[in-house]
Amino acid sequence: MTTYSAPDQALVHAAIEQVWGSMLFEAADPWPTGVPAEFETGLQAHIEIRGGWNGRLLLTCDSAVATQIAGALLGIGPDEPVDEPDVHDAVGEVLNVVGGSVKGAIGGSMTLGLPGVRASASPRSSEESLVVSWRGNPVHVQIVPDAELAGDS
Amino acid sequence: MKIIIADDSRVMRQIVLRTMRQAGFGHHDFVEATDGADALDKVATERPDLVLSDWNMPNKTGIELLRDLRGSGNAVPFGFVTSEGSEEMRETAAAAGALFLIAKPFTPEHFESALVGMLG
Repeated sequence: MTTYSAPDQALVHAAIEQVWGSMLFEAADPWPTGVPAEFETGLQAHIEIRGGWNGRLLLTCDSAVATQIAGALLGIGPDEPVDEPDVHDAVGEVLNVVGGSVKGAIGGSMTLGLPGVRASASPRSSEESLVVSWRGNPVHVQIVPDAELAGDS
Repeated sequence: MKIIIADDSRVMRQIVLRTMRQAGFGHHDFVEATDGADALDKVATERPDLVLSDWNMPNKTGIELLRDLRGSGNAVPFGFVTSEGSEEMRETAAAAGALFLIAKPFTPEHFESALVGMLG
């Protein structure tokens, strides 16, 4: 019987570092401890992983950060405008590539869903999330197993 | 040569196109397709020399597109550009007739290595 390892923060952080370094040309440094990482108006990308491990990855960032990420992905200057559909597309695609790396690291027969993006505030400080720094701004990444959604421990 | 880029992400289609140019293949003609079903239609109308396709797309996935093409006798050269590059997927892609699978995140060197013999 094949066994699967649940993705942990170290694995997801490694995937983010790889994606940001090669696609966004930015480092993904850990967010400093003790510094507030909350914001009111942002975007949240989500993608499902199905198979030996079932759950979702969530990436949440401030709207201005999402626009900067889209600009970096498209390789355009910091002052050039990016249409909102392209911002949603870009943030979803970044999480899609992170999800592909995570899925590959879990191993076995797994499927990756299509990314979705919606408006969202930052996760509450009580919610466990990996926080990385994007040009001095927080980006939250959460690993949400289905069991957690169902309220199981 | 004419190349179809099939991806449901407009941003990713732009990045694939930019990377193709960086790899030295910018002088070819490119046609964009927004999913597998659109790509199937455009293969019929555009008669491309190469298809570069994402795997995970709505309406028709990349592997369904490839199987439909081969099932109808169309042997257009076909490669995947996808966020997933597991051995299982590479084997599935090769068994269906794909020439290569480039996993995201990618570099111009990945495209150059996969395509230099085909596109020159």
